[in-house]
Amino acid sequence: MESTGYILQLFNLTKRFASLVAVNDLSLTIYKNEIFGLLGPNGAGKTTTINMICGLLPPTGGTIKFTGYDVKDYKSLIGYCPQENIFYPKLTCLEQLIFAGQIYGISSKSIKPRALELLEHLGMKEKTNERAARLSGGMKRRLNICLALIHNPEILILDEPEAGLDPQSRILVRNFIKMFGKEKTVILTTHNMDEADRLADRIAIMDYGKLLLLDTPQNLKRTIGEGDILEIVIENGDGDSINKLAEETGSLSVNVVKGSNYLLVKHTNVIQYLPAIKKIAESNGLIISEVKLRENTLEDVFIHLTGRNLRQ
Amino acid sequence: MKLLSVIIKSLREQIRSFWILILTLSMGPFFILVYFLITESSKPQYNILILNSDTGISGNGKITNHGENLISFFTLSKPDSISTLLIVTEISKRSTGIEKLKSKKADALIIIPGTFSQSLNSRETGDSIAVSNLEFIGDLTNTNYLISAVWANELVNEYALQITKSKRIIEVNETPLGISASISYFDMVVPGLLIVSLIMLMFTASIAFVSEVENKTILRLKLSRLTAFEFLGGIGFVQILVGLVSVAVTLITAILLGFQYEGSLVIMLIIAGLTSMSIIAFSLIIAAVTKSAGEVLVVGNFPMFLFMFFTGAAFPIKSETLFSIAGYPVTLQGLMTPSHAISALNKTLIMNMDIRSIIPEIVSILVLTLLYFIIGAVIFKRRHLRLN
Repeated sequence: MESTGYILQLFNLTKRFASLVAVNDLSLTIYKNEIFGLLGPNGAGKTTTINMICGLLPPTGGTIKFTGYDVKDYKSLIGYCPQENIFYPKLTCLEQLIFAGQIYGISSKSIKPRALELLEHLGMKEKTNERAARLSGGMKRRLNICLALIHNPEILILDEPEAGLDPQSRILVRNFIKMFGKEKTVILTTHNMDEADRLADRIAIMDYGKLLLLDTPQNLKRTIGEGDILEIVIENGDGDSINKLAEETGSLSVNVVKGSNYLLVKHTNVIQYLPAIKKIAESNGLIISEVKLRENTLEDVFIHLTGRNLRQ
Repeated sequence: MKLLSVIIKSLREQIRSFWILILTLSMGPFFILVYFLITESSKPQYNILILNSDTGISGNGKITNHGENLISFFTLSKPDSISTLLIVTEISKRSTGIEKLKSKKADALIIIPGTFSQSLNSRETGDSIAVSNLEFIGDLTNTNYLISAVWANELVNEYALQITKSKRIIEVNETPLGISASISYFDMVVPGLLIVSLIMLMFTASIAFVSEVENKTILRLKLSRLTAFEFLGGIGFVQILVGLVSVAVTLITAILLGFQYEGSLVIMLIIAGLTSMSIIAFSLIIAAVTKSAGEVLVVGNFPMFLFMFFTGAAFPIKSETLFSIAGYPVTLQGLMTPSHAISALNKTLIMNMDIRSIIPEIVSILVLTLLYFIIGAVIFKRRHLRLN
């Protein structure tokens, strides 16, 4: 990816709303033809960052640089699909795609074939002449993506692309993003770790407006070590007893992260420690209600970095 | 190209906003119909009963009954327009007539004597002292009786002068003030109602602007290379078309109901076009301070009522002159463009004056339109187009 050169660079990007620092000194580079994920909980500053990249929000400080393109053309460079479906309810799918293309200055000749091609790619061929207001939620989301792509942008920015989608639409959108990412650049913001893990070539984890970590999903997961995660849910634990359990389990030379009613235990062969952990729990009067063995996830990375769950 | 795209898109959306379009286009004709019905039902009418006791006279082998001829004269002759207000009914019994007068079903009863024909014939043949006595019966305290009696007396004398080939001793020449002789109240209110049909644009135009905010599609405009001029101009152009259709429908309705205009239709279209622009510019202010079509329908009512009822659009009103500029009176209502538009339409459609005579009105509309537009555009840009 890096060999293809970068397309977008953010230098010390900052956005303040009164006393709130929504984006704090953010610097990162996005390469051509990569799918770049911005991962973080609500309020992490993902959408604010995107809005600044799209020119919808002026930064308080810092610089945004589009490499190899005139800054005047940045609007044509970007296709933005916001989290909320935004369309003209009284126009048909084809009519609004043509209008959306025309306002970007695309020639009339090329708009219609492009619109029809997009509708077909996103499984909306039969909805070509349907008014947008009458579409289902999933179809509206797909139309929103078509609207972002009608002017053939170099960078497609998707804000929570899979939010509220039915399984069929989710698979279709995911495949489309993968296909598009082979030729163009995709930036997607999400708080869905699974979505980011499956789609993104690189992921930037943000919290409280700051960049915590930026790497490929595999490398991010490696930052918390090789091995599996044992998730142990306690039925009757309170704060003190969970703390005590975490402390005593930690003495077994494993990595332990404690939650409100659970422990995450990490080691290369973590399952061998389960009888010992069970014994510690019983000695503290704790009942284990559920045990899960799984691989590392980005959520574990986030918890490792921040000490809290993404959805908290 | 982009302007044309906005026009086409806006036109499609406008046509598909069926109910609001129907509301806008039907309001002018509706007001015309209402005023027509009001003016028709409020026209004064006087019911005159005639009991013809005339026995007639015979001569040259034929019988002449001047009583019958007088009744026909009442019914058929239309000196000025007042005779159309007299409804004449012939009765056969005096008692029937008296009963109708008492029950207010008639205003006057005229009894033609048996010697009516004979008296007129004597006059015709040179008997200068022959007199016929017609009896007028009615409630002397009732204004309707007085008007009926005056006009009936006028018609009777007119008939007698024609039959006896006599001339009046005194001829009265009536000079109408202005063009009051040829126009009706309905004709006078139509120019204002044409402007009412344009005032209704306030809703469609405001909704057209604000729907971009409500649907959040304004974001797409911000993301694209569309300029504010192309966005506002495209929507505004479609609204001017709606305004011209609205005026045309209203004018056609008025003409079908008897409206008679004198002046040039081209000048009328110029005035309508300018007024549409001013209403659209004002709508931008409404759209700027609202966020949804629902809010427009609530907030928009206040300026709409001001524009309709305080500019002389819905009905003529008097306005106090604050000061004059080059002889053109400046009033408080003058801050609203419809007042100038109505004045211009009255001058052209009713007074048949040329375009030079309405230059002050045109200048006033243009200045106010510019003022509305600047205020609307500034607020709209700050509230809805600003990057935030």
